[in-house]
Amino acid sequence: MSPEYSASLRRKIDEVVARYPKKAAALLPVLHLVQREVGCIAPEEERFVAQALELRPMKVREVVTFYTMFLRRRVGKYHLQVCSNLSCSLLGAGPLLDYLQQKLGIGIGETTADGRFTLSTAECLGACEQSPCLMVNFDYHGQLDREKIDRILASLE
Amino acid sequence: MDEKVLTRHFGVEGVFRIDVYRGQGGYAAVEKALKQMTPAAVLDEVKRASLRGRGGAGFPAGVKWGFVPQNIPKPRYLCVNADEGEPGTFKDRYIMNHNPHLLLEGIIIASFAVGIHAAFIYVRGEYEAVTLRLEGAVAEALENGYLGKNILGTGFDLDVAVHRGAGAYICGEETALLESLEGKRGHPRLKPPFPASVGLFQCPTVINNVETLSNIPFIVQNGADWFIKKGLPKDGGTRIFGVSGMVKKPGIYELPLGTQLRTIIFDHAGGMKDGKQLKAVIPGGMSAPILTADEIDLPMDFDSLAAAGSMLGSAAVIVIDRETSILDVLKAVVKFYSHESCGQCTPCRIGTAWINKIVKRLARGEGEQDDIDSIIRLASNIKGKTLCPLGDAAALPILSICQKFRRELEGYLPHA
Amino acid sequence: MPKIFVDDRMVEVAERLTLLRAAESAGIPIPHFCYHPAFAPEGSCRMCLVEIEGLPKLELACSTIVKEGLRVRTMSPKVVEARKGVLEFLLAEHPLDCPICDKAGECKLQDYFEEYGLFRSQFKEAKEKREKKFKLSRNLILDRERCILCTRCVRFLNEVTKTEDAGILNRGIHSEVGIYESEFIDNNYSGNLAQICPVGAITDSDFRFKTRVWFLESKESVCPLCSRGCNITIDSHPGHPRTVRTRRVYRVRARQNPDVNFHWICDYGRYGYAYLDEDRENKLVWKRGDRETRLSWDEAAQILTEKIRSLVHLRKNSRIGIVLHTNLTNEELFLADRLFRKGLGVERFFLADPPPGKGDEFLLTADRTANRRGLQEVGLPVQGADLKALSGFDLLLIFGHYLAAATSPADMKNALDKVETKALFASHKSGLDSLVDFIIPVPVIAEKSGTLTNIDGRVQPFVAGLDFDGDGLPEWRALLDLAKELKVDHKYFSPLSSQEAVYRALQKEIPFFK
Repeated sequence: MSPEYSASLRRKIDEVVARYPKKAAALLPVLHLVQREVGCIAPEEERFVAQALELRPMKVREVVTFYTMFLRRRVGKYHLQVCSNLSCSLLGAGPLLDYLQQKLGIGIGETTADGRFTLSTAECLGACEQSPCLMVNFDYHGQLDREKIDRILASLE
Repeated sequence: MDEKVLTRHFGVEGVFRIDVYRGQGGYAAVEKALKQMTPAAVLDEVKRASLRGRGGAGFPAGVKWGFVPQNIPKPRYLCVNADEGEPGTFKDRYIMNHNPHLLLEGIIIASFAVGIHAAFIYVRGEYEAVTLRLEGAVAEALENGYLGKNILGTGFDLDVAVHRGAGAYICGEETALLESLEGKRGHPRLKPPFPASVGLFQCPTVINNVETLSNIPFIVQNGADWFIKKGLPKDGGTRIFGVSGMVKKPGIYELPLGTQLRTIIFDHAGGMKDGKQLKAVIPGGMSAPILTADEIDLPMDFDSLAAAGSMLGSAAVIVIDRETSILDVLKAVVKFYSHESCGQCTPCRIGTAWINKIVKRLARGEGEQDDIDSIIRLASNIKGKTLCPLGDAAALPILSICQKFRRELEGYLPHA
Repeated sequence: MPKIFVDDRMVEVAERLTLLRAAESAGIPIPHFCYHPAFAPEGSCRMCLVEIEGLPKLELACSTIVKEGLRVRTMSPKVVEARKGVLEFLLAEHPLDCPICDKAGECKLQDYFEEYGLFRSQFKEAKEKREKKFKLSRNLILDRERCILCTRCVRFLNEVTKTEDAGILNRGIHSEVGIYESEFIDNNYSGNLAQICPVGAITDSDFRFKTRVWFLESKESVCPLCSRGCNITIDSHPGHPRTVRTRRVYRVRARQNPDVNFHWICDYGRYGYAYLDEDRENKLVWKRGDRETRLSWDEAAQILTEKIRSLVHLRKNSRIGIVLHTNLTNEELFLADRLFRKGLGVERFFLADPPPGKGDEFLLTADRTANRRGLQEVGLPVQGADLKALSGFDLLLIFGHYLAAATSPADMKNALDKVETKALFASHKSGLDSLVDFIIPVPVIAEKSGTLTNIDGRVQPFVAGLDFDGDGLPEWRALLDLAKELKVDHKYFSPLSSQEAVYRALQKEIPFFK
């Protein structure tokens, strides 16, 4: 059973594809668009994208599994990615990660039972002047401490 | 320094909008280049300005542009490297967020100089807000006749597309960036051939960093001599230094090339945070070999840092304090490169993972007597032997940490 | 032709070669894994790094093009250290599978370790655990722990079969070769993957666990299963105790020939070697009624010669019919023409061949015989096997067992019962055995010497690789013996005492073969 993809998604895909001299070059942007709509890139999505860009599904999967931002399984409503790189570690990212695990009751790579939060680590997010940092989906939050983390979590329904 | 260059308009509210930017004198350089200069003249000026790449490698931009063959019937491309993955680096994010039109101006002039009619801005996938801002700027520039067909009536055409990456540090390496732009895994290519002759879609391609291109409008407006005076004779202009780690005022600091590292840390960035003591500094992004607290009295320019056994790289200064265990620093370094290795070539794929396993074991308290020598041996087997510079980017920092902080690392081994 | 210096030895090499090929051509091998002559250089294994004078870093031999005056060192301390480094990395994450791995004895990792390594492992960590029996195709199994990610398999499927079945998934140390879901590799060239894998990562279930390669004898031959004439190597057990099967041939591999099959053979040829050992004729018998007498060839030849001679005396040459096939060599078809048509005036020659199949766009031809072009060039006129016509002869010499498939056993028996004397020269048992008077076992192509002409008109000589166990003899020798016994054209036939002599005669008389 193949899922339905919205007309607006298909339109956006066409727009993006038009920017490149070769269809295949649009693969990464198209995967971003599909992931935004569907939540992840499962085999159905791989085949959909492969067909849209006239690629073999294998080529799509090769790309999906290479880049960390493409998710093969859905994550929670809020994907919390805590930077674990050097500048953030220097300023206490480690203990804050422990705090988050304890507060949410999940480990790294896991999702809360109510499906709201998934917790991951990430490498350098490019916001080192605000260490320690995390991303909530793609919103950056820096200068973290426990209180700020509490406030952020409370603000996310 | 009396006059900022790149960050000149950062404080101006709304300067990311074209009307505000133009009100500040924006796009005057494009007018001058396209209407009053020839492509060759622009190229010449950039060469004379000694503008070295701001991404990490420091290759002279004008020389790179000059490598592109003009008489081949293939399209030429410009790829803007906005992947900004080097740990400690965030300067390009500032430029693109605060002043995207400055970057666009640089893109337009560079494309004019090299005869390029299609440019792609490869932005790291995590920079979603930045991507939206860039796309907005591109749309505004198009609306106002600075992009598209027949720019300013000069007959010059240029299309700019914003392309998102998806989380791979290796895609900051120019040939991996090309692969990624072509919709593939970010596997670096063998060089030769070089991108200037065989690049994007096998066509001649220039790849430049965001900050590098953002300097171009100033060079065109004020000339090469002015630019050189802002920096050093063989290293023109200013750099945006990014300071992070255990300092009071982490952030970006635009300063002339040649500014002393000590000055950057203790004057501009306010010195050590919370009264801590300096232990070590990584001067140019994680790929730059580490400097001890005794080694920070040196000017921050390409040649001085190279002479000191390190590199200016992305000018990202990471400040490490004495309470931080050097093993934790090594852990972060080794974890990063192992995670980011593309996996193509043997030494990097297996070597970084192996070193990662040793360091993790050390951190668990299960170290063995020869572990540090093993790490050094393995890193030496990676150095100079890999398909792309990521191998050295991993090996050199690891070797410098093991060499300069050996005593401290030995403290984690079982006592003989 | 540029002159380069390899380890201080001056060598003149062809232009535009890579250092690796140039050194190879001068007899200096440079170790490598990912490089394969069929593909563009990959440069990822890093094993071929060499030292070039004047350059600060080691350079890849596989992708550096030779230049006049280039000075390269292939065994300097820096190079030796680099090679050991690569080996150490590969072996660190490689399972100690040699005792159970089919590739042992022909594994590049083993070979290079023996030549350039011989160090003790200093890897103390836990190796990555991966899937060890990942199914790639009906025959092929991938062991991901053994895989060194040379990507030859991926590149083969992208560039040769262009089926793009495989790819590399994940990143870094977690990289692995994979296929898409359960879309197994399914093309006629998949067997080449196990052959080009430098280690035992891709194994072929046709060969898996059957024997050890050091028990095998490798002999060169030409594949006779279609008219391409791919060059092959046959691996057999000469005389050693058979481990699993009773057959002696364990494997057929592709042999390089840039003009015919490049580096490849098709799966039909690779896996179709059972015929070499199964259902073989090996007893030479003369059947009269219920009696079956074993004869030597000389005895059989005498009897046959008698029968032929008597028909010739009675001017009944037209009552002799010959059935041929196009798996006979050029020499054999030539001798059949000179002896029967020219020498004896036989008028009717029939062709009974294996049925055609489906050709592919690469190597496999629809014609499933090896020498149809040879027959065309020899110019022997043939017609299709016509039962009614065959039944009208007094003497039939049937070459090949393929006639058996021409019709139903009952109809065949009907037709052949009408023929007084039938002699069968066949390599394999068939329904004809019970219908003929003489069965003379003959060798297959792999067991004799001669030449074949492939579909492109290329004449390929080959030499016997396997021993022929049967009572009989190669057809060309049988024909020469018959010619001598019959005393036909004595001046012509008596100097022809070897297969080579026959070929020289063939070359002299037919311009195509010169």
